[in-house]
Amino acid sequence: MSPRNIPPLTYKVVAECSVSKARAGLMTLRHSEVNTPVFMPVGTQGTLKGILPDQLIELNCQILLGNTYHLGLRPGIETLRLAGGLHKFMGWPRAILTDSGGFQMVSLLQLAEINEKGVNFRSPFDNSECMLTPEHSIQIQNAIGADIMMQLDDVVKTTTTGPRVEEAMERTIRWVDRCIEAHARDDDQSLFPIVQGGLDVPLRQRCVSALMERQVRGFAVGGLSGGESKHDFWRMVDVCTDHLPRDKPRYLMGVGFAADLVVCVALGIDMFDCVFPTRTARFGCALVDSGQLNLKQPKYKLDLEPIDKQCECSTCKRYTRSYLHHIATNESVSCSLLSIHNVAYQLRLMRSMREAIQRDEFPKFVIDFMARHFGKDPIPTWIQEALKAVNIELPPAEEKQEKETIKQEKHEQAIEVS
Amino acid sequence: MKFVIESLTKNGGRLGQLHIKDGAPEQRTPLLMQTTKGGSIPCLSADVFESHVTRKPQVLQFTLSTIDQMTEALAQWNRADRGLSDYVGFPGHLNVLLLRDPCEMTPAGGNDRDIQPLFTRRGKESLSPQRYMEMVASLKPDIYQGLCDADTNADSSKKRVQKSVDRTEKFMQYIYENKSKVESALLAPIVGGYNTFARTQSIKHAHEQPADSYGGYVFEGFHTNGLAATTLDASKLLPIVQHCVGQLEEGKPRMVPGAYTPLTTLELIGLGMDLFDTSYAYCAAVNFKALTFTFAQDADAVVHVPFLDITDDANKEDFTPLLKKCDCLSCKKHTRAYLHHLYKTNELLGPILLMIHNLHHYLAFFEAIRQSIASDGLQQLTELVRRQNGDSQVDYGIAPNRKVISKATMGKGFAAAAV
Repeated sequence: MSPRNIPPLTYKVVAECSVSKARAGLMTLRHSEVNTPVFMPVGTQGTLKGILPDQLIELNCQILLGNTYHLGLRPGIETLRLAGGLHKFMGWPRAILTDSGGFQMVSLLQLAEINEKGVNFRSPFDNSECMLTPEHSIQIQNAIGADIMMQLDDVVKTTTTGPRVEEAMERTIRWVDRCIEAHARDDDQSLFPIVQGGLDVPLRQRCVSALMERQVRGFAVGGLSGGESKHDFWRMVDVCTDHLPRDKPRYLMGVGFAADLVVCVALGIDMFDCVFPTRTARFGCALVDSGQLNLKQPKYKLDLEPIDKQCECSTCKRYTRSYLHHIATNESVSCSLLSIHNVAYQLRLMRSMREAIQRDEFPKFVIDFMARHFGKDPIPTWIQEALKAVNIELPPAEEKQEKETIKQEKHEQAIEVS
Repeated sequence: MKFVIESLTKNGGRLGQLHIKDGAPEQRTPLLMQTTKGGSIPCLSADVFESHVTRKPQVLQFTLSTIDQMTEALAQWNRADRGLSDYVGFPGHLNVLLLRDPCEMTPAGGNDRDIQPLFTRRGKESLSPQRYMEMVASLKPDIYQGLCDADTNADSSKKRVQKSVDRTEKFMQYIYENKSKVESALLAPIVGGYNTFARTQSIKHAHEQPADSYGGYVFEGFHTNGLAATTLDASKLLPIVQHCVGQLEEGKPRMVPGAYTPLTTLELIGLGMDLFDTSYAYCAAVNFKALTFTFAQDADAVVHVPFLDITDDANKEDFTPLLKKCDCLSCKKHTRAYLHHLYKTNELLGPILLMIHNLHHYLAFFEAIRQSIASDGLQQLTELVRRQNGDSQVDYGIAPNRKVISKATMGKGFAAAAV
């Protein structure tokens, strides 16, 4: 472990896009260096479903996400302490980020009730009443020992409007102070505050300003990706990155669709997480640039090609779509095989973006990616507007269509978003 | 397919070389075949198997009941002469096609005059000898078993046993007449439950064919697969096997599919059986048991237990490996506490890590068996496995666990648990 005088998180911008707000960075944590922009696969309960830690290292995954709510229940704080933290418990030598547990309370538990003290909920196992306070969340996260941890925030549904949004934002700021106060391992772990404020620009601005007054090493943008319109979504991200400091990493919580990742990198986000790539794998879906292939469809039965000829993952090197079609959602090994491919896809997409930023060719990358991703379909207005806001102009539709007719053959297996 | 006996001792097992096809490595017997489900080694991708279990080329045991739906795709695939193993991610590995999955209980009944039931994930399918040979022609395994009625166990009535022999004879008539249409080597099925007379008849039916009609034997009808094989009464099984072996020529390998316990496996090897599979290692893994029995002759006089029960709460804060001195990935990098956590949370990584350990352990067990035969020590090894340095015989039977990680617990999108 690094000497104590080196902070547990250092971040430096390695390259910036000369057109958009995209940047490539290097974040150095106690357990790993992390090249940003980065996608963090979600290993909810101390394992990325069906994948060995060794396989993740082979994919060059540098940081994983764990869920405090789940880990606090099982194996529990005592076991984690005895094990010497989650890294040792699960055999993962690289970096880990944990959420605060607040989101699961609200998304999983209908009985959750939030007051100034914390989140009141019933345990799903013994139905007893429990209270998750900012202090308690930090205590669990200190036992987990993740390189980066999140403050407990007051989460409201993204579609909520009115005074409740402002109350949640203000409470989130009050709670970050309690979290900082309770944080017992600031030499090893970095606590990120979370920007709230719903879909309201002035609230988001106020929240960012208030959080910037605290001594923190990075920031998360929360309360998005929960069913709001994409139009509101990108504007909120844009407002936050406009005001957040340049020299600290920015983490957008819960975002992981390929097109969203590309847009949000252009808007200046550095870190992402999402269960989608591994969850969709369990449904038999494989990610490709043109969207996703639902391998359960009969048309793949006799398709003797790999998922993606360009992909270098162990699944694409050995298996055909035809074989995967037959085992998807039936043999448990199909979860492992498709999860490997999908995580490899996400990590490769992020690497391509980093490299494009470093060559200062990011705008071209974005334009090419959107053409591949949407094929013959029109590019959604929100993407056009978001990119335009950071000076990336997508080619007008007519021109695109001409190009696409030539490429038509190639795009026959078009997008199949389930 | 060629089989050469290297050494042979009475009740001490036999060492052999199995040459399955030209250009492929020879396999030493007693041989442990890798059982598969849907063409894959259960829970493990080919990459994980080769990285963490073994890089040595294996003999894969495919079961028609779990891959029959792939026949159409394989017919197309094999036009390019690429092979069944290549299709499932194991290019260059040899393979054997069986009818029934030794890992799961085969339902009883459904036997019809001219049709053999095949229990697939879609339910019961009817398999005629004609259809079976068409499928073998499409799948192109290196070796395939003859079609047989093996719906018998220790409790079967005399009538049921006789039916299984008669129906098998009838099916096999068709197979022998048409076997020239496929290139794969054939294993003659020997059935007849626990009845010496019926078994003799079944052997006689095979012997009526010219000696080169088939390359070996497959013994079925002792159990109906799954956990049943782990609890069968060896004192009833072994005399029947001994009776059969006395009537067989030496030059053909003998296969006994199923999850026989390590002890029964050793006793079967002592009687001259050659080919086994990994279904016992699988049955233990899905029921959350890590194999821990010792087979090292020089082991300290410590009493060993047959398995570690991962479900036991005593593992919650036990940060030691599954098995000390084991050098598999699961033991080197993970702990009992972590495996217990994966069990509690229904995580798929649990069975993956247990399969890595159990297969690793079982492959080493078979290596030890071959060495013991070479040094005339099979009986000694059998005694070690029987008592594990203790006073009484160890129970290797596997009881079903209530909470097997099933498709239902793997989250939405995964098909509801079949069978």
